[in-house]
Amino acid sequence: MIEARTIYIMAYRQIKRFLRAKSRLIGSIVNPVMWLVFFGLGWSSAFSSPMAKMVFHGLDYMSYLSPGVVMMTIFTASFIGGITVIWDKEFGFLKEILVAPVSRTASILGRALGDMLVALLQGTIILIATFYLAPSLKLSGIPLTILAGALVAFSFTSIGIAIASKMRSIEGFQILMSFVNLPLLFSSGAFYPLDNLPEWMKLLAYVNPLTYGVDLARWSLTGVSQITPSVDLAALILLAIVMVSIASYIFNKATIE
Amino acid sequence: MARREVIVVENLTKKFEKIVAVNKVSFKVFKGEIFGFLGPNGAGKTTTINMLITLMKPTAGEAWINGYSILREPSMVRKSIGVVFQDSTVDRYLTGWENMWIHGVAYGVPRRELKNKITRLLRFVELEEYGNIQVKNYSGGMIRRLEIARGLLHEPEILFLDEPTLGLDPQTRAKIWDYILDLKKKSGMTIFLTTHYMDEAEKLCDRIAIIDHGRILAIGSPEELKNVIGRDVVYVKVKEDAVPAKVLAEKIIEDGLALEFNIVSGNTLSFIVEDAYRFIPKVFDVANSLKTIILEVKYSKPTLNDVFLHLTGRELRREEGDWKDTVRTRIRMRFRRRTL
Ligand SMILES: Nc1ncnc2c1ncn2[C@@H]1O[C@H](COP(=O)(O)OP(=O)(O)O)[C@@H](O)[C@H]1O
Ligand SMILES: [Mg+2]
Repeated sequence: MIEARTIYIMAYRQIKRFLRAKSRLIGSIVNPVMWLVFFGLGWSSAFSSPMAKMVFHGLDYMSYLSPGVVMMTIFTASFIGGITVIWDKEFGFLKEILVAPVSRTASILGRALGDMLVALLQGTIILIATFYLAPSLKLSGIPLTILAGALVAFSFTSIGIAIASKMRSIEGFQILMSFVNLPLLFSSGAFYPLDNLPEWMKLLAYVNPLTYGVDLARWSLTGVSQITPSVDLAALILLAIVMVSIASYIFNKATIE
Repeated sequence: MARREVIVVENLTKKFEKIVAVNKVSFKVFKGEIFGFLGPNGAGKTTTINMLITLMKPTAGEAWINGYSILREPSMVRKSIGVVFQDSTVDRYLTGWENMWIHGVAYGVPRRELKNKITRLLRFVELEEYGNIQVKNYSGGMIRRLEIARGLLHEPEILFLDEPTLGLDPQTRAKIWDYILDLKKKSGMTIFLTTHYMDEAEKLCDRIAIIDHGRILAIGSPEELKNVIGRDVVYVKVKEDAVPAKVLAEKIIEDGLALEFNIVSGNTLSFIVEDAYRFIPKVFDVANSLKTIILEVKYSKPTLNDVFLHLTGRELRREEGDWKDTVRTRIRMRFRRRTL
């Protein structure tokens, strides 16, 4: 049962909350900018030789990295957005939702939609910034990049919601972030090509929704793809559907015990 | 005309791993009535509410809210009720108005009416001027008032209030009592509330169920409950030099001067007697005969505390849980400030 009004208010809430928290807004921009500037510019000078360019499929490092950082921004924002369900548990708002006569599936969809829009807003700001740092990026790639971002966001906010619904306290949050955040980021191909990675890491890369998002964004913005754009898109859509279904299934079973 | 039953509970039971939190509880609440659960911390009040509002599955038993089964028709139950939880459930980053608005839309209040209703309810709980302020800047009392207003927004058939004045200062408590009594008077709403304050139960409730260790010990109006005890209650504080207080008490019962005694604290006794004026001089006689000195004598009409003492042998007030609760709330508040 899908109720439009439930989806609408849950999305509204996520967006309102984000816009209220000025520090979150600033923090979400500063972090990826630091990556672009210090990591990006730093390695760009080290990788300026033609040999290095070959490693990055003919791209200068800044152009290679930029789509990755855009996706990283969206990934982090949406994953944390989903995980904040645990705060709702801790601070009570979850009960308000659980006792309301609304469909749980609709409230998950609404929440995921809200988090997705919030993550896309942050990603878009970074995307604009990358055009200044890597002028060779293609403007025509923007729409597809945003689509990729939307699908990535939808998947990860769902994963976040699913995990948080199972978590009992916010204590585990930091550990979770270290165990999930960094491995997913580093196995996604955002920072370096996947070609010569150890097999186990490649395996991780292929089950990681972020990998397909990064590849699709990179293809749209630079024309370089390590997988195949159509495969990327199919994988992203499939993953988003699977993840949101899992989240909805778990949330439907959520009680306060 | 028969009064309509809006809550019917039959043998409701909840077991957690180790304990039976609610044990075969049965009662009825009638339309337009304020019905209260009075019991100490850990008695099973919140657990009962959680089952009635469909947030927890009972281990056994059944209940009907507004005619709908909590087991088979949870979504109809949810439509019939408003809930104010013991711990706050507002979104602290939204304004009071926004919290109300989200609630109204979620419960399908028609958009045309929603604005007016919110304004009216915020006025009712005297938060009109604070509607556009984020809830994180509200005091505990303001949050509770906002939650009461929110619980009323969709005009529920039954309002559940779990410890509505827990941790609030006396003025705010009095205010919240006024709102609750006002609601009953003006809208005839049925209210189910829980509390561990006897004064609150006495002031608000038409009928009270006294609950302890998950069981209902007695149900009745405050008057009925107090009548169970007898006429007067006399407190006697003794100096325990010669004999323990208990010996004095037993002697008094033996002589047939009082109906019942309880040890309130180490050297204070309470007696349930037919007539305090005739009893008090005799206490001094007995004390003299035992060479015990009486430090203080007080007498009162029975209170709900005496009823509780009579039923359980323990006092309801000065619960250890009280301060633990307060400390827990404080820690949470501090924690909130730090992490968010
Ligand atoms: N989720 C739970 N898991 C295990 N025990 C619980 C849970 N919730 C409550 N209890 C226990 O059940 C008993 C009744 O608790 P509760 O209903 O909260 O009491 P009250 O609201 O009257 O203070 C307490 O002993 C409490 O520790
Ligand atoms: Mg309680």
